Amino acid sequence: MDTIIADEERILRVWTPRILRTILLAAIALLVFGLIMLAWQNPSYYVARFHSLQGNVRYQNRKSLTGLIVTALAGDPRSIMTLGLMVLTLVPLVRVAFCFLLFVKERDGIYVAFTAYVLIGLVAGVILGRVG
Amino acid sequence: MLIMLGLLALAVGAGFIGALSGLGGGVFIVPALLIFARIPMSVAVGASMISVVATSAGASVAFVRDGWTNLRVAMALECATVTGAVTGAYLAGIVPTWVLELLFALMMLQSAYFTMTKTGESIVPRSDPLADRLKLGGRIPAASGNKEIHYGVINVPGGAILMLVAGLMSGLLGIGSGALKVMAMDYVMHLPLKVSSATSNFMIGVTAGAGALVFLARGDVATVIAAPVALGVTAGAVVGGRLLPHANVQSLRTMFVAILLLIAVEMGWRALSGF
Repeated sequence: MDTIIADEERILRVWTPRILRTILLAAIALLVFGLIMLAWQNPSYYVARFHSLQGNVRYQNRKSLTGLIVTALAGDPRSIMTLGLMVLTLVPLVRVAFCFLLFVKERDGIYVAFTAYVLIGLVAGVILGRVG
Repeated sequence: MLIMLGLLALAVGAGFIGALSGLGGGVFIVPALLIFARIPMSVAVGASMISVVATSAGASVAFVRDGWTNLRVAMALECATVTGAVTGAYLAGIVPTWVLELLFALMMLQSAYFTMTKTGESIVPRSDPLADRLKLGGRIPAASGNKEIHYGVINVPGGAILMLVAGLMSGLLGIGSGALKVMAMDYVMHLPLKVSSATSNFMIGVTAGAGALVFLARGDVATVIAAPVALGVTAGAVVGGRLLPHANVQSLRTMFVAILLLIAVEMGWRALSGF
Protein backbone atom coordinates (compact mmCIF):
# COMPACT_ATOMS: atom_id res chain seq x y z
CA MET A 1 0.00 0.00 0.00
CA ASP A 2 2.85 2.36 0.92
CA THR A 3 4.53 1.65 -2.43
CA ILE A 4 1.30 2.46 -4.23
CA ILE A 5 0.99 5.77 -2.37
CA ALA A 6 4.66 6.57 -3.13
CA ASP A 7 4.09 5.88 -6.86
CA GLU A 8 0.93 7.99 -6.85
CA GLU A 9 2.81 10.72 -5.03
CA ARG A 10 5.63 10.78 -7.56
CA ILE A 11 3.64 10.29 -10.76
CA LEU A 12 0.53 12.32 -9.97
CA ARG A 13 1.68 14.96 -7.54
CA VAL A 14 5.17 15.76 -8.79
CA TRP A 15 5.48 15.12 -12.51
CA THR A 16 1.92 15.68 -13.68
CA PRO A 17 1.46 19.23 -12.35
CA ARG A 18 4.82 20.28 -13.82
CA ILE A 19 4.09 18.91 -17.27
CA LEU A 20 0.45 20.05 -17.28
CA ARG A 21 1.49 23.55 -16.21
CA THR A 22 4.05 23.73 -19.04
CA ILE A 23 1.48 22.61 -21.65
CA LEU A 24 -1.14 24.99 -20.28
CA LEU A 25 1.24 27.97 -20.30
CA ALA A 26 2.31 27.13 -23.86
CA ALA A 27 -1.35 27.03 -24.96
CA ILE A 28 -2.16 30.34 -23.23
CA ALA A 29 0.95 31.97 -24.72
CA LEU A 30 -0.06 30.84 -28.24
CA LEU A 31 -3.65 32.05 -27.79
CA VAL A 32 -2.66 35.46 -26.37
CA PHE A 33 0.07 35.92 -29.00
CA GLY A 34 -2.31 34.97 -31.83
CA LEU A 35 -5.06 37.28 -30.58
CA ILE A 36 -2.70 40.24 -30.16
CA MET A 37 -1.21 39.62 -33.61
CA LEU A 38 -4.66 39.46 -35.19
CA ALA A 39 -5.83 42.64 -33.42
CA TRP A 40 -2.60 44.39 -34.42
CA GLN A 41 -2.21 43.20 -38.01
CA ASN A 42 -5.73 42.83 -39.29
CA PRO A 43 -8.50 44.09 -36.98
CA SER A 44 -10.96 44.42 -39.87
CA TYR A 45 -10.59 40.69 -40.58
CA TYR A 46 -11.67 39.93 -37.00
CA VAL A 47 -14.79 42.10 -37.33
CA ALA A 48 -15.66 40.62 -40.74
CA ARG A 49 -15.17 37.06 -39.46
CA PHE A 50 -17.29 37.78 -36.38
CA HIS A 51 -20.17 39.18 -38.46
CA SER A 52 -20.05 36.29 -40.92
CA LEU A 53 -20.27 33.88 -37.97
CA GLN A 54 -23.26 35.82 -36.66
CA GLY A 55 -24.82 35.32 -40.07
CA ASN A 56 -24.39 31.55 -39.59
CA VAL A 57 -21.93 31.20 -42.45
CA ARG A 58 -20.64 27.61 -42.26
CA TYR A 59 -17.19 27.76 -40.76
CA GLN A 60 -14.61 25.14 -41.64
CA ASN A 61 -11.12 25.48 -40.26
CA ARG A 62 -9.78 22.20 -41.48
CA LYS A 63 -6.07 22.00 -42.15
CA SER A 64 -3.56 19.22 -41.74
CA LEU A 65 -1.32 19.50 -38.69
CA THR A 66 1.72 20.06 -40.90
CA GLY A 67 -0.10 22.76 -42.87
CA LEU A 68 -1.14 24.40 -39.63
CA ILE A 69 2.41 24.43 -38.23
CA VAL A 70 3.81 25.82 -41.49
CA THR A 71 1.28 28.68 -41.61
CA ALA A 72 1.69 29.34 -37.87
CA LEU A 73 5.47 29.61 -38.31
CA ALA A 74 4.84 31.98 -41.22
CA GLY A 75 3.03 34.22 -38.70
CA ASP A 76 -0.64 33.54 -39.52
CA PRO A 77 -2.51 34.55 -36.32
CA ARG A 78 -5.46 32.18 -36.94
CA SER A 79 -3.13 29.19 -37.31
CA ILE A 80 -1.24 30.22 -34.16
CA MET A 81 -4.53 30.36 -32.22
CA THR A 82 -5.75 27.02 -33.65
CA LEU A 83 -2.43 25.50 -32.62
CA GLY A 84 -2.96 26.99 -29.14
CA LEU A 85 -6.40 25.35 -28.92
CA MET A 86 -4.90 22.01 -30.00
CA VAL A 87 -2.14 22.26 -27.39
CA LEU A 88 -4.86 22.98 -24.82
CA THR A 89 -6.68 19.73 -25.63
CA LEU A 90 -3.41 17.91 -24.92
CA VAL A 91 -3.90 18.63 -21.20
CA PRO A 92 -6.69 16.06 -20.60
CA LEU A 93 -4.94 13.59 -22.92
CA VAL A 94 -1.68 13.83 -20.96
CA ARG A 95 -3.58 13.55 -17.68
CA VAL A 96 -5.17 10.25 -18.77
CA ALA A 97 -1.79 9.06 -20.09
CA PHE A 98 -0.29 9.63 -16.64
CA CYS A 99 -3.12 7.66 -15.02
CA PHE A 100 -2.45 4.87 -17.52
CA LEU A 101 1.23 4.85 -16.50
CA LEU A 102 0.26 4.78 -12.85
CA PHE A 103 -2.02 1.76 -13.26
CA VAL A 104 0.57 -0.04 -15.40
CA LYS A 105 3.08 0.54 -12.60
CA GLU A 106 0.61 -0.80 -10.07
CA ARG A 107 -0.11 -3.81 -12.35
CA ASP A 108 -3.82 -3.12 -12.00
CA GLY A 109 -5.20 -4.88 -15.10
CA ILE A 110 -8.79 -3.63 -14.90
CA TYR A 111 -7.73 0.01 -14.61
CA VAL A 112 -5.07 -0.33 -17.30
CA ALA A 113 -7.94 -1.49 -19.54
CA PHE A 114 -10.21 1.39 -18.42
CA THR A 115 -7.59 4.09 -19.03
CA ALA A 116 -6.58 2.47 -22.35
CA TYR A 117 -10.26 2.60 -23.38
CA VAL A 118 -10.44 6.31 -22.47
CA LEU A 119 -7.24 7.05 -24.43
CA ILE A 120 -8.57 5.12 -27.43
CA GLY A 121 -11.85 7.04 -27.08
CA LEU A 122 -9.98 10.36 -27.22
CA VAL A 123 -8.06 9.28 -30.34
CA ALA A 124 -11.26 7.89 -31.89
CA GLY A 125 -12.76 11.36 -31.41
CA VAL A 126 -10.07 12.84 -33.65
CA ILE A 127 -10.64 10.18 -36.32
CA LEU A 128 -14.42 10.59 -36.12
CA GLY A 129 -14.01 14.36 -36.46
CA ARG A 130 -11.79 13.97 -39.52
CA VAL A 131 -14.23 11.69 -41.32
CA GLY A 132 -17.43 13.31 -39.98
CA MET B 1 -10.95 45.35 -31.07
CA LEU B 2 -14.15 46.31 -29.21
CA ILE B 3 -15.81 43.05 -30.28
CA MET B 4 -12.82 41.05 -29.01
CA LEU B 5 -12.87 42.91 -25.67
CA GLY B 6 -16.64 42.46 -25.44
CA LEU B 7 -16.29 38.70 -25.94
CA LEU B 8 -13.51 38.60 -23.33
CA ALA B 9 -15.71 40.48 -20.83
CA LEU B 10 -18.66 38.12 -21.47
CA ALA B 11 -16.39 35.13 -21.00
CA VAL B 12 -14.83 36.50 -17.79
CA GLY B 13 -18.34 37.04 -16.37
CA ALA B 14 -19.46 33.51 -17.36
CA GLY B 15 -16.32 31.93 -15.87
CA PHE B 16 -16.72 33.96 -12.67
CA ILE B 17 -20.39 32.98 -12.12
CA GLY B 18 -19.59 29.40 -13.17
CA ALA B 19 -16.88 29.12 -10.50
CA LEU B 20 -18.98 30.74 -7.75
CA SER B 21 -22.00 28.55 -8.50
CA GLY B 22 -19.88 25.42 -8.89
CA LEU B 23 -21.60 24.70 -12.22
CA GLY B 24 -18.71 25.69 -14.51
CA GLY B 25 -18.46 28.39 -17.16
CA GLY B 26 -19.96 26.37 -20.04
CA VAL B 27 -23.46 26.57 -18.58
CA PHE B 28 -23.31 30.38 -18.72
CA ILE B 29 -21.12 31.13 -21.76
CA VAL B 30 -23.32 29.29 -24.29
CA PRO B 31 -26.46 31.35 -23.51
CA ALA B 32 -24.33 34.51 -23.13
CA LEU B 33 -22.92 34.03 -26.64
CA LEU B 34 -26.37 33.27 -28.05
CA ILE B 35 -28.19 36.15 -26.37
CA PHE B 36 -25.61 38.96 -26.11
CA ALA B 37 -23.19 38.20 -28.99
CA ARG B 38 -25.91 36.73 -31.27
CA ILE B 39 -23.66 33.83 -32.19
CA PRO B 40 -25.34 30.69 -33.60
CA MET B 41 -25.65 27.65 -31.34
CA SER B 42 -23.14 25.48 -33.26
CA VAL B 43 -20.37 28.12 -32.95
CA ALA B 44 -21.19 28.80 -29.28
CA VAL B 45 -21.03 25.08 -28.45
CA GLY B 46 -17.56 24.65 -30.04
CA ALA B 47 -16.17 27.71 -28.27
CA SER B 48 -17.71 26.72 -24.95
CA MET B 49 -16.33 23.19 -25.14
CA ILE B 50 -12.81 24.59 -25.57
CA SER B 51 -13.39 26.93 -22.61
CA VAL B 52 -14.45 23.99 -20.43
CA VAL B 53 -11.19 22.21 -21.33
CA ALA B 54 -9.22 25.39 -20.54
CA THR B 55 -10.90 25.95 -17.16
CA SER B 56 -10.47 22.34 -16.17
CA ALA B 57 -6.83 22.41 -17.33
CA GLY B 58 -6.22 25.44 -15.10
CA ALA B 59 -7.77 23.66 -12.13
CA SER B 60 -6.14 20.33 -12.84
CA VAL B 61 -2.63 21.67 -12.33
CA ALA B 62 -3.37 21.04 -8.64
CA PHE B 63 -4.34 17.50 -9.76
CA VAL B 64 -5.65 15.26 -6.95
CA ARG B 65 -3.48 17.18 -4.51
CA ASP B 66 -6.64 17.83 -2.53
CA GLY B 67 -6.93 14.20 -1.49
CA TRP B 68 -10.68 14.18 -2.21
CA THR B 69 -10.52 12.99 -5.83
CA ASN B 70 -11.25 9.28 -6.18
CA LEU B 71 -9.06 8.38 -9.15
CA ARG B 72 -10.50 4.87 -9.59
CA VAL B 73 -14.10 6.10 -9.64
CA ALA B 74 -13.05 8.82 -12.11
CA MET B 75 -11.35 6.45 -14.53
CA ALA B 76 -14.05 3.76 -14.33
CA LEU B 77 -16.80 6.30 -15.07
CA GLU B 78 -14.70 8.16 -17.64
CA CYS B 79 -15.23 5.17 -19.96
CA ALA B 80 -18.92 6.10 -20.02
CA THR B 81 -18.49 9.89 -20.25
CA VAL B 82 -15.90 9.74 -23.05
CA THR B 83 -18.13 7.36 -25.05
CA GLY B 84 -21.02 9.78 -24.55
CA ALA B 85 -18.95 12.89 -25.32
CA VAL B 86 -17.49 11.55 -28.58
CA THR B 87 -20.95 10.37 -29.70
CA GLY B 88 -22.53 13.68 -28.66
CA ALA B 89 -19.90 15.81 -30.41
CA TYR B 90 -20.33 13.73 -33.57
CA LEU B 91 -24.12 14.10 -33.40
CA ALA B 92 -23.84 17.86 -32.70
CA GLY B 93 -23.04 18.35 -36.37
CA ILE B 94 -26.26 16.57 -37.38
CA VAL B 95 -28.88 17.31 -34.69
CA PRO B 96 -31.18 20.30 -35.47
CA THR B 97 -30.55 23.47 -33.45
CA TRP B 98 -33.97 23.46 -31.79
CA VAL B 99 -33.26 20.02 -30.30
CA LEU B 100 -29.96 21.32 -28.87
CA GLU B 101 -31.74 24.36 -27.42
CA LEU B 102 -34.43 22.17 -25.85
CA LEU B 103 -31.80 19.84 -24.36
CA PHE B 104 -29.94 22.88 -23.02
CA ALA B 105 -33.15 24.11 -21.35
CA LEU B 106 -33.62 20.68 -19.74
CA MET B 107 -30.01 20.65 -18.50
CA MET B 108 -30.58 24.11 -16.95
CA LEU B 109 -33.63 22.78 -15.10
CA GLN B 110 -31.57 19.84 -13.85
CA SER B 111 -28.79 22.22 -12.72
CA ALA B 112 -31.34 24.43 -10.94
CA TYR B 113 -32.81 21.39 -9.18
CA PHE B 114 -29.31 20.26 -8.20
CA THR B 115 -28.38 23.73 -6.90
CA MET B 116 -31.53 23.83 -4.76
CA THR B 117 -31.22 20.35 -3.31
CA LYS B 118 -27.49 19.64 -2.80
CA THR B 119 -27.38 19.39 0.95
CA GLY B 120 -27.36 15.83 2.19
CA GLU B 121 -24.62 13.30 2.78
CA SER B 122 -25.56 9.65 2.53
CA ILE B 123 -22.39 7.63 2.95
CA VAL B 124 -22.65 3.85 2.81
CA PRO B 125 -20.13 1.96 4.95
CA ARG B 126 -19.64 -0.96 2.55
CA SER B 127 -19.35 -1.24 -1.23
CA ASP B 128 -21.57 -3.62 -3.20
CA PRO B 129 -19.82 -6.63 -4.84
CA LEU B 130 -19.07 -4.93 -8.20
CA ALA B 131 -17.74 -1.73 -6.60
CA ASP B 132 -15.74 -3.86 -4.19
CA ARG B 133 -14.20 -5.80 -7.07
CA LEU B 134 -13.30 -2.49 -8.73
CA LYS B 135 -11.80 -1.20 -5.44
CA LEU B 136 -13.89 1.97 -5.62
CA GLY B 137 -14.26 2.64 -1.90
CA GLY B 138 -12.05 5.17 -0.18
CA ARG B 139 -11.34 7.18 2.95
CA ILE B 140 -12.07 10.76 3.90
CA PRO B 141 -11.05 12.75 6.97
CA ALA B 142 -13.66 12.67 9.74
CA ALA B 143 -15.34 15.95 10.67
CA SER B 144 -13.68 15.87 14.07
CA GLY B 145 -10.34 14.50 15.18
CA ASN B 146 -7.65 12.82 13.14
CA LYS B 147 -9.67 9.73 12.33
CA GLU B 148 -10.65 8.74 8.81
CA ILE B 149 -14.05 7.49 7.69
CA HIS B 150 -14.26 4.68 5.16
CA TYR B 151 -16.92 5.12 2.49
CA GLY B 152 -18.33 2.47 0.20
CA VAL B 153 -19.71 2.79 -3.33
CA ILE B 154 -22.86 1.17 -4.71
CA ASN B 155 -24.80 0.96 -7.99
CA VAL B 156 -21.93 1.44 -10.46
CA PRO B 157 -24.09 0.51 -13.52
CA GLY B 158 -26.70 3.14 -12.57
CA GLY B 159 -23.96 5.76 -12.13
CA ALA B 160 -22.35 4.76 -15.43
CA ILE B 161 -25.65 5.18 -17.33
CA LEU B 162 -26.06 8.71 -15.93
CA MET B 163 -22.43 9.42 -16.82
CA LEU B 164 -23.09 8.31 -20.39
CA VAL B 165 -25.94 10.85 -20.52
CA ALA B 166 -23.67 13.50 -18.93
CA GLY B 167 -21.01 12.83 -21.58
CA LEU B 168 -23.59 12.95 -24.36
CA MET B 169 -24.84 16.34 -23.11
CA SER B 170 -21.23 17.62 -22.89
CA GLY B 171 -20.56 16.64 -26.48
CA LEU B 172 -23.85 18.03 -27.78
CA LEU B 173 -24.00 21.26 -25.77
CA GLY B 174 -20.37 22.16 -24.97
CA ILE B 175 -20.88 22.11 -21.20
CA GLY B 176 -19.08 20.22 -18.45
CA SER B 177 -22.30 18.56 -17.14
CA GLY B 178 -20.82 18.83 -13.64
CA ALA B 179 -24.22 18.97 -11.93
CA LEU B 180 -25.29 15.69 -13.56
CA LYS B 181 -21.95 14.03 -12.77
CA VAL B 182 -22.11 15.03 -9.10
CA MET B 183 -25.72 13.82 -8.91
CA ALA B 184 -24.75 10.45 -10.38
CA MET B 185 -21.97 10.00 -7.84
CA ASP B 186 -23.75 11.52 -4.86
CA TYR B 187 -27.36 10.35 -5.23
CA VAL B 188 -26.91 7.11 -7.19
CA MET B 189 -23.50 5.78 -6.09
CA HIS B 190 -23.60 7.34 -2.60
CA LEU B 191 -20.12 8.85 -2.66
CA PRO B 192 -19.54 11.67 -0.15
CA LEU B 193 -20.51 15.06 -1.67
CA LYS B 194 -17.02 16.54 -1.46
CA VAL B 195 -15.50 13.43 -3.11
CA SER B 196 -18.21 13.61 -5.82
CA SER B 197 -17.44 17.30 -6.51
CA ALA B 198 -13.65 16.81 -6.65
CA THR B 199 -13.94 13.67 -8.80
CA SER B 200 -16.41 15.43 -11.12
CA ASN B 201 -13.98 18.35 -11.57
CA PHE B 202 -11.28 15.86 -12.46
CA MET B 203 -13.53 14.16 -15.02
CA ILE B 204 -14.92 17.30 -16.71
CA GLY B 205 -11.68 18.14 -18.55
CA VAL B 206 -11.35 14.67 -20.05
CA THR B 207 -15.02 14.56 -21.08
CA ALA B 208 -14.89 18.03 -22.66
CA GLY B 209 -11.48 17.21 -24.16
CA ALA B 210 -13.01 14.22 -25.97
CA GLY B 211 -15.75 16.43 -27.42
CA ALA B 212 -13.33 19.26 -28.24
CA LEU B 213 -11.09 16.90 -30.20
CA VAL B 214 -14.05 15.90 -32.43
CA PHE B 215 -14.95 19.58 -33.00
CA LEU B 216 -11.32 20.59 -33.68
CA ALA B 217 -10.66 17.66 -36.01
CA ARG B 218 -13.87 18.44 -37.90
CA GLY B 219 -12.76 22.06 -38.25
CA ASP B 220 -15.88 23.29 -36.43
CA VAL B 221 -14.17 25.53 -33.89
CA ALA B 222 -14.33 29.22 -34.82
CA THR B 223 -10.90 30.30 -33.59
CA VAL B 224 -11.74 34.02 -33.48
CA ILE B 225 -14.52 33.27 -30.97
CA ALA B 226 -13.01 30.28 -29.14
CA ALA B 227 -9.65 31.91 -28.30
CA PRO B 228 -10.96 34.97 -26.39
CA VAL B 229 -13.75 32.87 -24.83
CA ALA B 230 -11.32 30.23 -23.55
CA LEU B 231 -8.97 32.88 -22.11
CA GLY B 232 -11.81 34.89 -20.58
CA VAL B 233 -13.70 31.98 -19.00
CA THR B 234 -10.46 30.65 -17.48
CA ALA B 235 -9.54 34.07 -16.07
CA GLY B 236 -13.07 34.48 -14.65
CA ALA B 237 -12.94 31.01 -13.14
CA VAL B 238 -9.59 31.73 -11.47
CA VAL B 239 -10.95 34.94 -9.88
CA GLY B 240 -14.22 33.21 -8.91
CA GLY B 241 -12.30 30.29 -7.42
CA ARG B 242 -10.18 32.68 -5.34
CA LEU B 243 -13.27 34.51 -4.04
CA LEU B 244 -15.25 31.32 -3.38
CA PRO B 245 -13.93 30.67 0.17
CA HIS B 246 -14.90 34.23 1.19
CA ALA B 247 -18.30 34.31 -0.53
CA ASN B 248 -21.59 33.50 1.18
CA VAL B 249 -22.57 30.88 -1.38
CA GLN B 250 -25.81 30.01 0.42
CA SER B 251 -27.17 33.52 -0.09
CA LEU B 252 -26.09 33.47 -3.76
CA ARG B 253 -27.88 30.17 -4.34
CA THR B 254 -31.28 31.78 -4.94
CA MET B 255 -29.73 34.12 -7.51
CA PHE B 256 -28.02 31.22 -9.33
CA VAL B 257 -31.30 29.26 -9.43
CA ALA B 258 -33.09 32.34 -10.83
CA ILE B 259 -30.42 32.76 -13.54
CA LEU B 260 -30.61 29.07 -14.46
CA LEU B 261 -34.41 29.20 -14.68
CA LEU B 262 -34.24 32.34 -16.85
CA ILE B 263 -31.77 30.60 -19.18
CA ALA B 264 -34.04 27.52 -19.27
CA VAL B 265 -37.03 29.69 -20.25
CA GLU B 266 -35.02 31.57 -22.91
CA MET B 267 -33.60 28.38 -24.44
CA GLY B 268 -36.96 26.61 -24.26
CA TRP B 269 -38.61 29.57 -25.98
CA ARG B 270 -35.94 29.63 -28.71
CA ALA B 271 -36.39 25.89 -29.27
CA LEU B 272 -40.17 26.00 -29.47
CA SER B 273 -40.40 29.22 -31.51
CA GLY B 274 -37.91 27.87 -34.06
CA PHE B 275 -39.64 24.48 -34.12
